[in-house]
Amino acid sequence: MSQGPTTLTNAKEIRKQSITVGFLFETIKERLKLRALNNVGFENPIRDKNIHRPGLALAGYVALFTYDRVQVFGNTEMLYLASLPLEARVDAFKTLFKFAIPCIVITDCNVMDPELITLATDHNVPVFQTTLATTKATYFISDFLDDQFSPQTTVHGSFVDVYGIGLLIVGRSGIGKSEIALDLVERGHRLVSDDVVTITRKGEGILIGAGTDLVKHFMEIRGLGLIDVKTIFGIRSIRFQKRVEVVVELMEWISDGEFTRTGLDQDTIAIMDVDIPHIKLPIFPGKNVTVIAEVIALNYLLKHHGYDAAKEFSKKLEQLIAQKSRNEVKRAIDYFEHDFE
Amino acid sequence: MIEREVSIRNRAGLHTRPAASVVKLAAKFKSEFFIIKDGFEINGKSIIGVMTLAAEQGSQLILRFEGDDELLAAESIVGLFDRGFDEV
Repeated sequence: MSQGPTTLTNAKEIRKQSITVGFLFETIKERLKLRALNNVGFENPIRDKNIHRPGLALAGYVALFTYDRVQVFGNTEMLYLASLPLEARVDAFKTLFKFAIPCIVITDCNVMDPELITLATDHNVPVFQTTLATTKATYFISDFLDDQFSPQTTVHGSFVDVYGIGLLIVGRSGIGKSEIALDLVERGHRLVSDDVVTITRKGEGILIGAGTDLVKHFMEIRGLGLIDVKTIFGIRSIRFQKRVEVVVELMEWISDGEFTRTGLDQDTIAIMDVDIPHIKLPIFPGKNVTVIAEVIALNYLLKHHGYDAAKEFSKKLEQLIAQKSRNEVKRAIDYFEHDFE
Repeated sequence: MIEREVSIRNRAGLHTRPAASVVKLAAKFKSEFFIIKDGFEINGKSIIGVMTLAAEQGSQLILRFEGDDELLAAESIVGLFDRGFDEV
């Protein structure tokens, strides 16, 4: 029975309110080939994931000027400024600096008059220069800001890459999530995080899971204490991030529990409004959950490649029923002649 | 032990979804539950077993219940068959 989407109860959504210009600079200066032309205003906050090209504001039109975004000066802005006499340029900048601008990024190796940079310094506005073309630079900055301001949540569970599929194992405390993760790692799969998994929503439908700075690849095994998976199993046993693709919920076996028997209907669970396939796995002694976790990943891969075992079986059964001719249960082999294959 | 004879009423026969309903209902009872079709006997709590019967509309089945709650089990499971698995 499909029960419609449910939610992971403990998932609270958090979103960064602001980052500092200094953080942006330090994090992407190498990728963006960024150079600071003055060293002020690194504490200025950026609150918006969008960027702005301030052409109209430079021309004096400042209604609806989205001043609180990163201001990108591309060839258009620089050529316009170059077309003005120096005094007019200074005036244009004075208009700009009536607003609390977080920072200015000049692209494509353009150079700015020392007078204008001094003016920026006086108004505590950092100016950066990049050798990248405008489209490339805006792409990098947007991608970085988009990630920084994307919604995040934390989930209590173990997150493992099994055959390339991100399995998020959840369930009540002490049910054995870490033990299964450890077992999977021992079989050659890769641990992303244990116990605390931070999940970030990228774009509209993609969830990326990672560990936290502190806990990264450490895990607690009951009765043993803390272990370091990376040191014990080596570099091949870990990874930093992975797309969340399947949620496996471990549950105590209850005889009349609602567990699927055919797998025809796929339950989903919502994490930050993204529906993820949700498998409720009853556990009891003697059940090898690790192997089942591997099969879940492989079955997911098969479905991804267009083969759904439940549907195939169901189709075969319907064809057999439809034949109407006396449906005796048939052996798979008509005539056992000898012990051949 | 209780034995009941039932026939398949719904047009599509005992296909995947009704089979799932049967095993899910059977799992709620402690009694053992078997289905016999043309002399072939399967465990009624096993989904693969129930589907193996490939019982088409009109086929006759014998349901056998054994256990403490066999009366209750027989009543509800026979009911499900009689209702054509709610999809007539």
